[in-house]
Amino acid sequence: MSTATATANVFGTDVPQPKQHGKPGGIMRRLNFGTGLIGGIGLATVAGLVTNALTPSGASTATFAPAAPEYVYLAVLLGWVIGFMAGIGAFIGPIRWVLGRDLTHADAEYMAGKDLGWKRYFKFTTDHKVVGIQYLVMTMVILGFGGLLAMLIRTELGVTWAEVFSPAFYNSLIGTHGIAMIIGMIIVVMGPIANFIVPIMIGARDMAFPRLNALSFWLLFVAAICLISSLFMGGVQDGWSVYYPLGAQAPPGMLGYQMTIIVFAFSTGVASVNLMVTILTMRAKGMTWSRTPLLVFGVFASALMGLYAFPFYQYSQILALSDRIFNTSFFDPLEGGSVWLYENLFWLLGHPEVYVIIIPSAAVLMEIIPVFYRKPLFSFNFAVAGIVGVVALSGLVWAHHMYMTGWAPAVNYPFMLSTEMISIPVGFLVLVVIGTMWRGVVWTRLPVMAVYAVIFNKMIGGVTGIYLSDVPVDQYMHGSMFVVAHFHYMLMGAGLFGAMAGVAFYFPKMTGRMLDERTGSIGLWTAFIGFQITFGSMFVAGLQGQPRRVLQFDNLFNISNWISTIGAYTIGIGMLIFLGAIISSWMYGDKASSNPWGSKSLEWQTPTPVPLENFEVLPVVTERPYDYGVPDPYQKELDAVDGDLEKVGK
Amino acid sequence: MSTTDVRPTGQPDEPEAPTNRPPSMHRVKMWIRRPYARWIMVLTVLIGFLLMPLAWLLLAAMNQTGAPASEVMKDIEQTVFVFTMVSIPITAFVFAVLVYSLLGWKHVSGDTPPEDESPAIRGNTIGVVLWTVVSSVLAFFLVVWGLAELAQITANSYGTIPADEQPEDKQALIVNVTGQQWVWTFEYPQYDGLTTETLYLAKDRPVYFNVTSKDVIHNFWAVELGVKIDANPGAITQTGVTPNKTGTFNVRCAELCGMHHAYMETAIQVLEPKVFNSRAREMGGGKAT
Amino acid sequence: MKRAFVTLLAVVVGVAIVAGIAVFNSVRQAEPPTLSAEVSGTMDTPQGTLPHATLELAVYPNSSAKVPPPKTPSQFSANWLSGQPFYHPSTSLQVPANSAVTITFIQYDSGGQIYNPYFADVHGTMDGTMTVNGESVTGLKPTEVGHTFTVHQFPESTQPDFFLSVPLKMNKANAKTDKDGYPVNPQKIEVTFITGDPGTYVWNCEFPCGDMYQEFGGPMQTRGWMAGTFEVV
Repeated sequence: MSTATATANVFGTDVPQPKQHGKPGGIMRRLNFGTGLIGGIGLATVAGLVTNALTPSGASTATFAPAAPEYVYLAVLLGWVIGFMAGIGAFIGPIRWVLGRDLTHADAEYMAGKDLGWKRYFKFTTDHKVVGIQYLVMTMVILGFGGLLAMLIRTELGVTWAEVFSPAFYNSLIGTHGIAMIIGMIIVVMGPIANFIVPIMIGARDMAFPRLNALSFWLLFVAAICLISSLFMGGVQDGWSVYYPLGAQAPPGMLGYQMTIIVFAFSTGVASVNLMVTILTMRAKGMTWSRTPLLVFGVFASALMGLYAFPFYQYSQILALSDRIFNTSFFDPLEGGSVWLYENLFWLLGHPEVYVIIIPSAAVLMEIIPVFYRKPLFSFNFAVAGIVGVVALSGLVWAHHMYMTGWAPAVNYPFMLSTEMISIPVGFLVLVVIGTMWRGVVWTRLPVMAVYAVIFNKMIGGVTGIYLSDVPVDQYMHGSMFVVAHFHYMLMGAGLFGAMAGVAFYFPKMTGRMLDERTGSIGLWTAFIGFQITFGSMFVAGLQGQPRRVLQFDNLFNISNWISTIGAYTIGIGMLIFLGAIISSWMYGDKASSNPWGSKSLEWQTPTPVPLENFEVLPVVTERPYDYGVPDPYQKELDAVDGDLEKVGK
Repeated sequence: MSTTDVRPTGQPDEPEAPTNRPPSMHRVKMWIRRPYARWIMVLTVLIGFLLMPLAWLLLAAMNQTGAPASEVMKDIEQTVFVFTMVSIPITAFVFAVLVYSLLGWKHVSGDTPPEDESPAIRGNTIGVVLWTVVSSVLAFFLVVWGLAELAQITANSYGTIPADEQPEDKQALIVNVTGQQWVWTFEYPQYDGLTTETLYLAKDRPVYFNVTSKDVIHNFWAVELGVKIDANPGAITQTGVTPNKTGTFNVRCAELCGMHHAYMETAIQVLEPKVFNSRAREMGGGKAT
Repeated sequence: MKRAFVTLLAVVVGVAIVAGIAVFNSVRQAEPPTLSAEVSGTMDTPQGTLPHATLELAVYPNSSAKVPPPKTPSQFSANWLSGQPFYHPSTSLQVPANSAVTITFIQYDSGGQIYNPYFADVHGTMDGTMTVNGESVTGLKPTEVGHTFTVHQFPESTQPDFFLSVPLKMNKANAKTDKDGYPVNPQKIEVTFITGDPGTYVWNCEFPCGDMYQEFGGPMQTRGWMAGTFEVV
């Protein structure tokens, strides 16, 4: 790229360019993951040392705890966050804007990773496809970490005759497992698939705000490191929900958790805005809403719910941080605060959040089934109605998590009503899936076989949710293992298996190789069988009366827990096999053609690997996305006899 | 690509309603003649019957330690039973479709998709309407059942009655439950403030629990009595129940409260009223006031 | 072939990582070595003549050169808990079943007001009393409690119910201390109780002697310090 031209040729048009400062990319040429680490670790160390020097030795906090670990750890966390983001170049964009140095086309191409090879995955790269792959790897790492913790948890629960780990460590195992899995599940479809596939699917060249896209990924990375660091400072000992005032008794690791959430909320907020604006404004010409694929609706809905809900969570952690460091008392009832304030703030996120997880997974199913049944999606409008219904009701049901708190018993009635009502739009989505299966000839490949697993799990999860939505029944079930089994059926059984279906489906487009179906299927079905054993048995334990978050319990629950643990190890093996299938196929798999599934959707009309600008010429959409199949044979027979049914053969 | 239909051709004076469509009942009868329709109905009923024992199995799991020991728990169990039965039709139908789609309709494996073999059904108004109506009716039934049940339980004992306004029920026993990391203590203000760490109750005597915590949030769960309420610091929450069975039951803590949360259990002893009174006296509780 | 190998490798490596981390952490957090009660002779009790066992425990306000702190799983915990009170020499206690057991507590720490006055009284001893510095009492004033020793239920219904709670008297603030900072004349509390059939229980202190919220954090939530296991064998 010449540095002197004042125009650049962009798809055949000469576009006037601002002044090119230095080589394309400017200082971003030198900034990458390595400089990010240097910046993060460096600033963290400096901040830690300075804070340590400034804290009088032997000082205590207001709650008689040693002050140095608290303040130093907080300083280290802040230093890490700011230092890493500075080191990887997140602030370069705003700085250039302040200095009036706009990006030229050459700069933008550099930032999108043009001609950088593998290095672009380790930089602040704006190309949505690169961000999608970064998210894919990060998600697998986070889910793998959560899975490791799950195996430890189930080992403890399976060894019923002794304490394998100390109770405090067990509490931190379940807390960290919870938050790692929640973060992993939020991003498992919204990260890889929404980032990589959705812009191509709507016929755009990239997202509306490419730099925000890169920002959301690296903020996630920074947050994940904050969470890991908390393990070394005492862990997150109070469940992933960290009710206060219990959280106020936790060691400094709790600060790591709070920073994780604060940073992660920024990450998802930025990603949500990006996705929503992209979907609203950058759909291809001719892509009216009725020609927009369901995945786009699902991703939009999830982004919208995340956008309004995450600030509550972030805010609750900011207040908690303030309680801890500045000795405020938002959540300290003895000093005028309220425990219910925290619970409400938390569940105002906590409930929409499960729909943030499940809606994209359900939307992915709706992309998969028309392709593999070669039929249009059954009642496209009904599916959209289901998604809209879920979004509308998602913000009105949160206090069903608080039935038993004694907060406001009178509001249990309306919340019971809204919670039961939300099962109806979710049911719409199930109907659309089975309606598409209806009379369809199925092409039995891995992505669609996974759909059967998902629907099976979703029905069980949904029905058990109905029990819990009833207040008197919740009087027995709340806080028992029944609840744990229910949400694992929904989030893991329906959510994670749906995401696995999506990964199997989009694998050829994202990696250029076919996922080995035999190994993938073995992994998936092993995990599925293990899943039924683990959580089916867990329902029994909950019904028998086992509370949650306990490491030792009555002999009565022994058998259910032994069975659950064996099932859990089976899930572990199955998931490792699936992971092995992903890794081995990525490395050695058969090269994929550009449209191995024969899909009519836009993203499959690009070559594989997808070129930097996605499309040479932006497409114009003229038909609906799921136009497969032939006229109804039964209808044809009926017409052949002019509607006289007595003459119809069958 | 659209399915053939019999709309009027736009000529004036043509009847609006399609006249050469067969009458509705006939169409339903013809639809039922289709093999897949019959098979799926059969499968639905079959799977439904296979799922029905769950209703009893769920109750059996709940009753392993002496439940139900109160009317509230019996109500809860009845609700679980009814909800299971009500959920079975739709669940069985969905499972039937899943099964039949693999066994009944054709499937192909291999590298090429089965092009041009599936009917392009874009939607089916009857199906959608039927599903919406059925699921809404069932959901409303569950809501009405739940609301009625909640109102009944609340009127008797739960949640909204402040401690100083509790009914002048001379019968009722009042227990102040204090959760503390990690032991439950129970104070009987009517018995000279007698405090124990095992919960003693009298059979058929209504009891009101005033529950609080000295430190973090706990949850008072009298398992077989079907009673549960959070123990919050700085607040008193109420619930109540009437045990109708003697025996030994469990109190467990159902809200993570720190290191020994799993060990925050104690026993409930439901005694005959005379035995209860004499036990109270033995333990220094004086005469019932 | 290469694919199958990579998949197998993924499974093996995954299982190895899980197993390794499990074993490492389990060993790292092992409870302190067991302190068993010594059986010596018999005692006449309301339930007949039973074997008699004795146990001695001390409670220190902080560690010193003379009294090292309990082992902690990590250097971070050691820093976090430095200067906090603990039971010595161990919190994993073992007493014989169907016996009369006498525990002597030597309490070196100060104290104050206990939150729940229930625990200022002694519960679960043989005759409902404890001996404090030679004097037999049924409890302490709620304002002069140092720590408690409260054994409570393990969630196991097939073992007998067992509840024992002993308030340990505090040393006055102006008590004379030796060069390590411990009172020269610590409080001496003795209780005798009867054990039933074998069972496993846990115990912890119920006096807010830690840090963080309501002073129930820190050592109060750490095995080996102010909480432990209690086995009747």
